[in-house]
Amino acid sequence: MAPTYNIAMVSDFFFPQPGGVESHIYQLSTKLMDRGHKVIIITHAYEGRTGVRYLTNGLKVYHVPFLVIYRSATFPTVFSFFPIFRNIVLRERIDIVHGHASLSSLCHESILHARTMGLRTVFTDHSLFGFADAASILTNKLLKFTLSDVDHVICVSHTCKENTVLRASLDPLMVSVIPNAVVAENFKPTFNPAETTSHSFSQNPPPARQLGPHDPITIVVISRLFYNKGTDLLTAAIPRILENHPNTRFIIAGSGPKAIDLEQMIEQNVLQDRVEMLGPVRHEEVRNVMVRGHIYLHPSLTEAFGTVIVEAASCGLYVVCTQVGGIPEVLPSHMTVFAKPEEDDLVAATGKAIAALRANKVRTELFHEQVKTMYSWTNVAIRTERVYNGISGAISEADFYGYDAANAASWSATRGRSGVQSFALIDRLKRYYGCGIWAGKLFCLCVIVDYLIFLILELLFPREKIDMCPDWPRKVVDESNGRKEGAR
Amino acid sequence: MLTTAPHLYIRRPSPTTAEFTVTTCPPLTLPLRLALLALSTLRLSLAATVLFALYTRFITPPTPTTSPTSTNHHPPFPPHPSPSSPAAYLTPAHLTALLHVLTASAPGQHLARLTAPLPPWLLSAVSGALLYFALLWRLHTTESLLVLRGLGIQTATTAAGGALWGGGGLWGWVVGFGGPATRFIPTEKIRDVLINEAFQGFEVRYYLVVVVDGEDDVVVVFPRLLPGRRIVETVWRGVRGCLYEAPPEGGYGYDGQWKRG
Repeated sequence: MAPTYNIAMVSDFFFPQPGGVESHIYQLSTKLMDRGHKVIIITHAYEGRTGVRYLTNGLKVYHVPFLVIYRSATFPTVFSFFPIFRNIVLRERIDIVHGHASLSSLCHESILHARTMGLRTVFTDHSLFGFADAASILTNKLLKFTLSDVDHVICVSHTCKENTVLRASLDPLMVSVIPNAVVAENFKPTFNPAETTSHSFSQNPPPARQLGPHDPITIVVISRLFYNKGTDLLTAAIPRILENHPNTRFIIAGSGPKAIDLEQMIEQNVLQDRVEMLGPVRHEEVRNVMVRGHIYLHPSLTEAFGTVIVEAASCGLYVVCTQVGGIPEVLPSHMTVFAKPEEDDLVAATGKAIAALRANKVRTELFHEQVKTMYSWTNVAIRTERVYNGISGAISEADFYGYDAANAASWSATRGRSGVQSFALIDRLKRYYGCGIWAGKLFCLCVIVDYLIFLILELLFPREKIDMCPDWPRKVVDESNGRKEGAR
Repeated sequence: MLTTAPHLYIRRPSPTTAEFTVTTCPPLTLPLRLALLALSTLRLSLAATVLFALYTRFITPPTPTTSPTSTNHHPPFPPHPSPSSPAAYLTPAHLTALLHVLTASAPGQHLARLTAPLPPWLLSAVSGALLYFALLWRLHTTESLLVLRGLGIQTATTAAGGALWGGGGLWGWVVGFGGPATRFIPTEKIRDVLINEAFQGFEVRYYLVVVVDGEDDVVVVFPRLLPGRRIVETVWRGVRGCLYEAPPEGGYGYDGQWKRG
């Protein structure tokens, strides 16, 4: 019987707000619950979404009332979250605190408090950051602070891992890469006529989608229209692509501050009939937009993973994307055409993709099945579970970190048993002290204050006065054949 | 010593009626009764003292007792009524005489000296607060839920602290828990009775609510005390059992953990 854990996912970003981090947390939690763990989610209160709620599969969400400052991130009040966090953790009997997203102060605070309370912590980084501008420096310092004393870090791509290791000065051994996944069932390509008429005789592999030389080709762009998503690049490239290739058209979905630039470009070049702007679309409608096209164009300037290109490939679209961040790791080369993040190369790459499609050299109808085997949330959950096992000592250090790592002399001196971070206050202080000349001392001060608050809370709100939550009935996993059954 | 953590009493006069009472009042043992009696006496005498202080300060006696010799045995008022008629003790004249005696007595003089330097507004404020505390302050919070099958449920709250907020007012204090704030909800208006969780202060608490048909807000049962999960679950099970029918085998609940409570 594999050990099961009580896990608290903490992030500022959760439903009802749409987004990649939000659905990552939801999907991961759901699959972890399928594997017999107990998962709760702690986030801040959204408008119309407050208090304690259950989602339909028994996933419990605490919407903690907090002040929101910027793009639904809460105001960083280092200690004010501690009392309520402690209460939730104790009443739910949490063993592992799993924080998400480096811009979420709720997540950073809870990792700090969880370590003070003697819990295992995991952090998942979903985004890439620069090193140069003031905001990045501040975020990186904050990241360094919380990640000085975390048990394990998960990144969504190898590029993201590299970035996080550099930003937070981490030991690369304690950073795992677990990519995002997609729910392939939600991103099916449109049925071929042959399939719809006789389901039972659906061919395997499905017949190729033949494209005539004069058939129109539709290029789809779905992205929030921000600078970092490469909307400027798109604005510059669209007139040239349309000029070079007759019988092509664009569908652009999404909203953002750069939408006005796109509209100006359409006006100037009189492209109203060839560029369709849909405005914001809901996540469940994304598939319906995607299947209208043949090529998915992703001009992003920075991207940690790029779930959307996996979704596009799953819908049977040929993907043209910029070679930045974690994008090259995401899809195999026969599904994508890469471009450098510059106007000329993007135009050339799109031309190449259109030519390849016209020559019927790309079997886009096979993409869905291939993506389905590559990406599944169940797999993500299994790999995340392995991280939990590693940090809680259920699998040995040699298994988790590799044999040579277990014996390496360079292994951090402040680590305790079997590569697991020790909870002793003095060990924790040692880790924080190395963060910088001034920052190290400041961080130590914060940790000491946090510890004192913890002691005061133990006096003011004693543990035995806190009501324990009854558990939602756990699913029982039959390990022998992987079949899942409901409890009793 | 005089209060405890909220605990539950259940009264079931008949199979279709149940009363759940949650109170901070500990079981009434003899020492506790004596202590409560002593406290009441203390509070009443405090109130009397305050009233007397106000009297000496603001309603000056018509003839201040200037000569100390005439005060003790010869009040300048009609002579004492004969002690044979007890009703005569309550005549206004007699009471006035009594007040005069008190004013002239050593504690009375002392009190007058004590209050003399205070400005009138301060004196009124302080004595108002003291009076409020002495007369209207309640020691225990008691909240109850009465369930009558076929009729409905009634919530009642008698809160500790200022009795004016807790319902009942002065009369409530005088007769004990006589005047709680009540609310009756007929059966056909009850859509559901359920347990929920919410943030309160630095905690997440369980509470019992009644969802009432046609109202936006739910009615929280035991809103002052918000007893713990054990009590709330017992009451919830009892209410469902009493209001609708006998609970199924093993009680309501999703699985063993709920059933055990």
